[in-house]
This record gives sequence, structure tokens and C-alpha cells, in this order.
Amino acid sequence: MSERLPERASRRALLMAAPAVLPVIVVLAGALFAGLLQSLGLMPFTGEPQLSFDAWTTGSGEILQAAGISLYIAAASTTLSVVMGFMIAAYILAMPISGRVIAGLSAATIPIPHLIAAGTFGLLLSDAGFLARVLGMPEEFPTFVGGPWWGAAILEYGWKESAFVALVVVGSISRRVGDLCDAASTLGASPRQRILNVVLPLALPSLGISAIIVFVYTLGSYEAVWLLGPISPEPLPVRAVRLFGSVDLAARPDAMATALASVAVGVVAILAGLLVLRRFKGLR
Amino acid sequence: MHLGFGVLLGAWIVLPLIPLMLWFVAGQWRAPDILPGTYSAQGLIELFSPQIQSATATSAALGTSVALVATPLGLLAALAIRRLPRTHSRFVEVVLLTPLAIPPFALVMGANVLLLRIYTPSFSAVVLVLAVAALPYTTFMFRSALASYDDRFEEVARTLGANARQTLAHVRLPLLAAATARAAFLAFLVGWGDYIATLLIGGGQLRTLPLILGSAAAGSGNEQLTAALSLAVIGPPLVLLAALSAPRLRERIRR
Repeated sequence: MSERLPERASRRALLMAAPAVLPVIVVLAGALFAGLLQSLGLMPFTGEPQLSFDAWTTGSGEILQAAGISLYIAAASTTLSVVMGFMIAAYILAMPISGRVIAGLSAATIPIPHLIAAGTFGLLLSDAGFLARVLGMPEEFPTFVGGPWWGAAILEYGWKESAFVALVVVGSISRRVGDLCDAASTLGASPRQRILNVVLPLALPSLGISAIIVFVYTLGSYEAVWLLGPISPEPLPVRAVRLFGSVDLAARPDAMATALASVAVGVVAILAGLLVLRRFKGLR
Repeated sequence: MHLGFGVLLGAWIVLPLIPLMLWFVAGQWRAPDILPGTYSAQGLIELFSPQIQSATATSAALGTSVALVATPLGLLAALAIRRLPRTHSRFVEVVLLTPLAIPPFALVMGANVLLLRIYTPSFSAVVLVLAVAALPYTTFMFRSALASYDDRFEEVARTLGANARQTLAHVRLPLLAAATARAAFLAFLVGWGDYIATLLIGGGQLRTLPLILGSAAAGSGNEQLTAALSLAVIGPPLVLLAALSAPRLRERIRR
């Protein structure tokens, strides 16, 4: 009897988890499976199912190019947001009073959806946008919006996600960092030394985790690259959504192949990121 | 010098939002003028147009529905994770984190056909997909709240003669109230600000604020409408957030 009790308790706990776990499994597995079938022509919108690898073979060049662009945008946005996010976090942790103002401002941008941020970066960075006007409409103002380097989209991601990185870093180390910084400053460390030799090493694990999250998020995010990027060439999400919405229903398999390729790139990025993080932990 | 650095960081955070504010109150604003030539209340009036009013109601309904589904399920899952043996709890945790790894557009595109085949009405279909997307956040919120939750409060209540329901109502729920508010807020945001699921599953039938904003921002010459819609999306969550953090602030001041 006494042995069965924990078993019963754990069965009850499994029942409690079921309403959350089952919909996630059903929706995820269903979506991926239906996507795979559609990419192979086995689940056509109209007509007879017919196995075809066309979406994967003839489309592979475009999918690879789109994946390259997406990886570039994700890498640039992640770098920018980690650097800016760490600076914001370090300032919040080092400055008790003015740091609180920055913390409040930064946290207030978190609920802003990416679509809205993309819209406002359009108003800020377009050719006749606010920044160009403030600078006196110089001839050499770079084409951020619709330009070949996705500058506006990368700045938008970097801006939004830097607040997220700062939130994660401050949340995970604020309790430990205070005493250590006090000790370091009693020993004569300058603010610069305190940030580089105390805050940065403590922040590395949370910076790593948030970098993975930001990278995967920007890889699969649609709004900013769609609104602020050039019409062609396209990153993965833009290509997938355009083909999905195409009047030509024959484009569906291509849309699904692109979507599944995005999933695969994301999974590989997560695994690679976790591997790097583990290697770092091993070093210490 | 340190204050100068703070000002630069402040500018990084605030500068992108300035054109939004200016366009909201601008009447005529031609390049290369740095400030609007004339000011008008047109943006404000726009916010009360029937189109935006009904879009606000749809967005609020979507956000509320996602919160109503994802918050209790997140709580149940977090409680279960705490009680399950380690192997099982790891499984539940990993499953509930996977939606973060799948790009939302890919999830929506795959799920769309299935939902169409079983004739799910588009509103419920969007709620279902977004609730799945919100579950990692709500579960995580309750997980971190439960990590510092002391079971002895409940034990004391039970020793003092409270039954299970009284313990739940007078001990557990009040202690988890703050986490519930935060989890529900995050889940609400997932529905309130969603663009891609509403676009691809709703197929234009669900006219939410982000959907109208998307088409305004993609066209040219809609700066004023874009600004008004953006503030209509940003405003309510900020008010909610202030309401949520007000009690905590007051407590801190009293201390």
C-alpha cells in the first residue's frame, strides 16, 4: 500500500500535466507532419495526392539562399542585442539610481510587439524618415529600409531583443552581483574593472542562453524582415509566407518545404548553441 | 562620464519611439522638416473610428481567450512538474518548451490545413495555436514562482483544520496570485499582439489591430494611421503592466 501511494500521486500529476502537454504535442506533431506531407505533394489543397520531391529538389537552391540570408540576419541581430543588452544590464547593476530609470525604460519596451517596433523603425530609418530629417537629409544616408543589408530589420531586432537580454541577465545575477561588486570596489576596482572582471563572467551563462533564444527567435520571425527588408532576395520566413499566400496553389509544397527547412535550421542552431554552452561550462 | 553613458543607453531605448509620438500628433509633416509643420488631433480621432474600435475589441477578445486557456494549463503543468519523478518531469518540461523552438509561421502553416479539414472556426483555431505558443511562458512563470513556494504554509493550514478546498482558496491561490497575474499578462500579450497566426489562419476574417497595422505600415503615406494604431496596441498593455506593478511599488515605498 505504502509503495503504491507515490505511484498514484505521480499518475495524478501526469493527469494534471496532460491538458497542457497533449495540445502542444498534437498541434506540433500535427503541424510538422501535415507540413511534411504537403511538401511532398501528398496532401494537396485540391486534386489527387501524388508523391513528388520537386519542392525539395528544384527549390533547394532558393531555400539554401534564403537560409543563408536568415542566418546572417539572425547572427547580426543576436550580436547587436547581446552587446547592447549586456551594456544595459551592466549599467542597471552598477548604477543604483540612474540604473533604475534605464531598467524601467528598457522593461517598458518588452510588451511592444515586433510588428509595432518594425513599423516605428520604418518611420525612423526610411529615406525621408525621422533620423534622415534630423541629420539634414544627407545624400549619403544609408538605405536601411529595403536596403541590401537588412539594416533596419537588424536594428529593430537588436533594439527589441536587447531589452530582453538585459532583463534575463539582471534577473539571473542581480542577487549575487551586489556583494561581489562591493567587495571588488573595496579592493580598489574601478567601475570598468568591476564590469569586465565581476559582472561579465557572472553574466556569461545567461548571455549564452539568451543569445540562443534571440538567435532562434529572429531566425523564424516574419514581421520585421517582411516590412523592412528588400523585396528580393528573401529570407526563409518571407519566402514561406509569400508562397503560402500565393494564388497558385501549386506553390504550397514549396511553402511547406521552406517552413520545414526553417524548423530544421532552428533545431540545428539550438543544438549547436547548447553544445557551445556545455563546452564553456566544461572549461571552467 | 557614467551619466553620459546612461544618456546614450536611454537614447538607444527611447529614440525609436519618438517618430511614433510625433506622427501621432502631426497634421502636415513634410520632409525635410525635423518637426511636424502643423499638429492635429486626427490621430486621436482615428483611434475612435468604428474600424479601430471593433479591431480593438477583437484583439482584446483574442488576448483574453489565449490567457484564459494558457494560464490555468500552465499552472497545472507547473504543479505537475514539481510532483513528478525526475524523468517524467523532464519530459513535460521539454515538451512545453518546444513551441519556442518552432518558428510561429511554420507552426501556423502546417496546422492550418489540419484545422481547415476538421472545420475549426477561425477564432478558436487561432486561440488554440496561440495558446500552444503561450504555454512555455505561462509554465515558466509558475515554475519560477513555485520554486520559492513553501509547502509548509499549506501544511500549517491543514494542521489548523483547513480542508483541501479551504487550503486552496485561502493559502495556495493568494500566494500564487502575483505569478498568475504575470503569466496571464504574458499570455494576453501573445494573443493581443499576434500578427502571423491571425493573418494565416484567420485569412482576413479576423480584423485585429496588428492586422490593420500591418497593411497600413506596408503601404506608403500612412504614417499617421501607423502611429495611431501602434499606440493603440502599446497603450493597453502598458496600463495593465502599471496596474500589475502598482501594488508592489506601493509596498516598496511603505517599507
